[in-house]
Amino acid sequence: MVDLKVSFAGSKPPLGGWLPAVSLTDRQAAILNAAADELIPGGDGFPAPSEVDVLSFVTRYVTPSGQEPKWFPFLGEDDFKARLDKLGEGFVRASSTQRVAVLGGLERDEPEFFGHLRDVVYYAYYSRPEVVHAMNRVLRAARDYRTSPLPYGYSDVMADWDDELLGRVRGSYQRTADVRRVDVPAHLGKAGV
Amino acid sequence: MAAYTETDVLVIGAGAGGAAMSKRLSDDGIKVVCLEQGDWLHPMDHPHFYDGWELERHRAWSWHANVRMFPEDYPTTGNTEPMMMNGVGGSTLHYAGAWPRFKPVDFRKGTEHGVEGTIDWPISYEELEPFYAINDAEIGVARRTGDPGNPPRPEGWGPANRGGKVGHKMGRGFDKLGWHWWPADNAILTKPKDARLPCNDCGFCLGGCPRHAIASTDVTYWPRALRNGVDLRTNARVERINAKHGRATGATYIDRITGARHEVRADIVVVAANSIGTPRLLLMSAQEGHPDGLANSNGLVGTHLMFHSWSFEDFWFDEPLEGFKGPEPAVLYSQQFYDTDTSRGFVNGFSLQVGTALGAANSALGTNTGNITPWGARHREFFNSHFGRHALIYVQGEDLPVRTNRVTLDPEVTDSSGLPAPHVHYDLHENDRQLIEWGRRRAREAADAAGGVIDTASTGIGGIDGPPPGWHIMGTCRMGNTPEDSVTNKWNQTWDVPNLFITDASSLTTGAAVNPTSTLQAVAVRCAEYIKRRHGDIRTQTRTPGNADAPGF
Ligand SMILES: Cc1cc2nc3c(=O)[nH]c(=O)nc-3n(C[C@H](O)[C@H](O)[C@H](O)COP(=O)(O)OP(=O)(O)OC[C@H]3O[C@@H](n4cnc5c(N)ncnc54)[C@H](O)[C@@H]3O)c2cc1C
Ligand code: SF4
Repeated sequence: MVDLKVSFAGSKPPLGGWLPAVSLTDRQAAILNAAADELIPGGDGFPAPSEVDVLSFVTRYVTPSGQEPKWFPFLGEDDFKARLDKLGEGFVRASSTQRVAVLGGLERDEPEFFGHLRDVVYYAYYSRPEVVHAMNRVLRAARDYRTSPLPYGYSDVMADWDDELLGRVRGSYQRTADVRRVDVPAHLGKAGV
Repeated sequence: MAAYTETDVLVIGAGAGGAAMSKRLSDDGIKVVCLEQGDWLHPMDHPHFYDGWELERHRAWSWHANVRMFPEDYPTTGNTEPMMMNGVGGSTLHYAGAWPRFKPVDFRKGTEHGVEGTIDWPISYEELEPFYAINDAEIGVARRTGDPGNPPRPEGWGPANRGGKVGHKMGRGFDKLGWHWWPADNAILTKPKDARLPCNDCGFCLGGCPRHAIASTDVTYWPRALRNGVDLRTNARVERINAKHGRATGATYIDRITGARHEVRADIVVVAANSIGTPRLLLMSAQEGHPDGLANSNGLVGTHLMFHSWSFEDFWFDEPLEGFKGPEPAVLYSQQFYDTDTSRGFVNGFSLQVGTALGAANSALGTNTGNITPWGARHREFFNSHFGRHALIYVQGEDLPVRTNRVTLDPEVTDSSGLPAPHVHYDLHENDRQLIEWGRRRAREAADAAGGVIDTASTGIGGIDGPPPGWHIMGTCRMGNTPEDSVTNKWNQTWDVPNLFITDASSLTTGAAVNPTSTLQAVAVRCAEYIKRRHGDIRTQTRTPGNADAPGF
């Protein structure tokens, strides 16, 4: 087997994101955390994104400088950092209402970038073990939900079919030789190759 | 060293059709070389173990070659983006393994209505049935027998996948309406087979299965084909099938690692590069005696492309359904509206299939239909009321084989080897639009009958991407009855070139209203059996026999 990861380095996106992750300055990290906390506010038994390190996830999926950000979430290091810098210290110090207004403006004026940022923050937040544990505690539908599908799976907690219900199913079919012409609606009439 | 390799049979493409063909031929000692433009997939190349498992569906595990942009992929242009995967296993590396069979009526749609380009299959369900059974046994199907809406099927390798709360709830809904329904057959193990582990209900099948429970051909047919001695060459991209004096002589391929060109010569050539790759290759193989492409003297190569017509309908309920558990393909299906009833205003019918949906991030991002959880103050309430309370009903319709829905070559765009990209044009026929609109209302009725719907969202006609998403790419080199209506005879032998066969989803004459792979593989197994038994005849034929005078088995 040819290791295409070696033969075609840079031509496939690395599973799990780039390692090492892109590193942010303290201020950039604070800005990203502040934005994430407005996108998904904590409370009602759920932690805030900044408390569960969404940063380490997001920064793995930002394409390092020098490479084209051609795969989802289409965030390139230089542009991403420049955008954080533009939000600046003021965004961190602002009230929640003010931050929401800034993010609302971004959503309106730069919907594509905003969409990618929101999506990657959602992916990051809902992958964090602390969030999954909160879901397990708070949501009845998530009692057995796990952080990743494997290795465990869910066979131990999976309901089976109801035989009694299946016993009532009715249905029919014809053999190939029994198929006959139907009256084709006039508007569909045309036959041919 | 010879400048070329010689073999009995050359197979192009190691996907669903090519793998079944290679294995079955080599069982009888026939010497096979198979050329595949992609490589093997390693178990650790699946996203299931990573915290970004849900995100990877938009990157390394995107269904669209144009989004993945891997070196083994080729771009497609046109008005739609068909979904496929390139590697040992082909698109089965990506598929969910839903494993319904065509119904007998599907083989006589020309007789039934003949609308647009519809013709009868040159074979019947009953003729194909033994080959469905052989293929099922090779790959290991999970099945519950006894569906009264279909001809009897053999016992599965294991019992049907369990339905979970979603299956139970939706089954009750269909029962209340008195509609047909049944637990889905899946090409998924529910008990161990060979070196493959049974499914453990992890819930993420459309990123492949690292347990090898899903019957992708890299873990089913290929290990056995290799033990039989098949010479499978990976990273080998075929640029041309060669022909001389009306017969195929082999093919030339480009080694994607070194860039070198090689030739394989063969008595018989089988193309299984899928319904986009096969017509692309035949068209690229225009040469002396075949000015419009190989096997294309009637101009039908690439035409009558089918995708299935679709709509995804998401429903959220007032109780936990835990759809993140259990395999992802159809939990159950209803074929209540499968048969043509022209009082509805359209011909053909559809299956309603009930599916599940990944995890928390996917739920936050709107499941299948983009019903996204708002950011900010309303996030928590929306997320909490939607997560794990969802069922997908998808309407999967039989689309008409329209001649102008077709694959051609795009001279402007090339793949990483400089070969022209296929241009794919697909428009839904009015009949198929009406069918899906009608079907969407039935999906809603089923959800209402199940009870407790709190929210709904729909992709509308066309599935997730506007025009039908093209999960199922079929029909561009169809088998038929005469050289005027098709590309191959009933043994998958091209009308123009007697020793050139086509055995992938391109050979399907009509698309039915069910997933295609069990049928295309049954056709491939049947064709392999023909080649095995009639090898001598095929080697000497100078013209392709008609369906009535072919030597048969
Ligand atoms: C996301 C997804 C989900 C699906 N789910 C289901 C499902 O649940 N049930 C179902 O029945 N079907 C499903 N399908 C469809 C199924 O995968 C296809 O029907 C099936 O794989 C088609 O088989 P094939 O032999 O026609 O082609 P493929 O399996 O696509 O194989 C073609 C092979 O040919 C190779 N090739 C192409 N051109 C060249 C060349 N020039 N040189 C060398 N090699 C070449 C390709 O690399 C590829 O490996 C799904 C598909 C997708 C993408
Ligand atoms: S649900 Fe089963 S078949 Fe699907 S990926 Fe998980 S283990 Fe494999």
